[in-house]
Amino acid sequence: MSNNFYKTSILPFAGIIIKLCRAYTNSQEDFEDYYQEVCLQIWRSKENFRKESEWSTWVYRISLNVCLTLLKKKKNNGQHFVSDALPAEDTDDNYAFADESLNLLYDAIRKLSEIDRAIIMLYLEEKSYQEIADIIGTNPNNIGVRIKRIKIRLKKILDGKIN
Amino acid sequence: MEKSIENIWKEGFLKKDVLVVPNLNDFYNKKSIHIIDKFKRMFRINLIVAVIFALVSLVITTINGLPIIGVSWFLILIGLVVVNKKLLKGLEKIDYHVSSYEYLISFNKWLQEQLAINRKMARLYYPLFFFSIVIGFWFVDAEGVSLGERLVGEVLYGFPNTYLVNGVPLIGIILVLTIASLLALFGGEIYNFDVKIIYGRMFKKIENLITELEELRR
Repeated sequence: MSNNFYKTSILPFAGIIIKLCRAYTNSQEDFEDYYQEVCLQIWRSKENFRKESEWSTWVYRISLNVCLTLLKKKKNNGQHFVSDALPAEDTDDNYAFADESLNLLYDAIRKLSEIDRAIIMLYLEEKSYQEIADIIGTNPNNIGVRIKRIKIRLKKILDGKIN
Repeated sequence: MEKSIENIWKEGFLKKDVLVVPNLNDFYNKKSIHIIDKFKRMFRINLIVAVIFALVSLVITTINGLPIIGVSWFLILIGLVVVNKKLLKGLEKIDYHVSSYEYLISFNKWLQEQLAINRKMARLYYPLFFFSIVIGFWFVDAEGVSLGERLVGEVLYGFPNTYLVNGVPLIGIILVLTIASLLALFGGEIYNFDVKIIYGRMFKKIENLITELEELRR
């Protein structure tokens, strides 16, 4: 991967890639693996980009697909990994953010299903329903309802009603 | 007032150094070591399979009255295993602690040398396999006489003018030598084809990884 490609085509989106990868991992080591794999896949797939969507949509889609694939691989390998069934306390201490509220929110997001995690992350990144639907590959009409449900669930988790 | 998740998100990421971009290089270290370890495992398994095949073919051919084939195959295969085991020792000497690129280049160098040696050997052992089959069947017992002698008898019965060299039809000798020569000539290509089937995908992965790293180094 050329440095130039990384700087101009990946680095501007590093923020969302990092945020997405963090939602699917619970240790610094896993996170770095996911981030690097995402970058590599974006670079590998650059030839397939047909400008039918924004480059950012393309980047988010690849990031999400890589995260879901790696998560599936980890689960298949029987590796200890965050899933719906795993309590949020299993996240490494040194993996936490300085902001305690943000940590609680991330822990709550990690309790969601894999797709709900992606939807809420993209919503929080202020992506439009259409863009979220394009990235996830679903109907934009359903996104609004889904987001509402996810927010209610997150609120419940944050209030300590589900844990 | 209680914060909304949108606010937690926004405020959480407003602070400096919240999003630290990880270093990309370690990925290649892990990936190259993983691919090469996988190759080593496959290589070792192939050597074990060759030994098992040599032993099984020795037993089966001996039981079925074809000991020449069994013994020949056993010796050829064991010879191949010994040579490749020695080559594998060279692979163990490759230093893990150099950069991924250097590690992959060293591995690739070892791989090309190993393939070249095996390609040369293939030009010898494919004809040897063939000769062992011909000779093995020639001497197999066919109702008190060897199958070869019986065949010669039948050929002479049908074609009395057949020219013999030491009791063997010249046409047969020419045919066997032609096939053996073709095997010697194309042994390298046959070996390449064999290797491609077993290791092709892995070689491609290594090649791609080296290309990626070369692009990264530019």
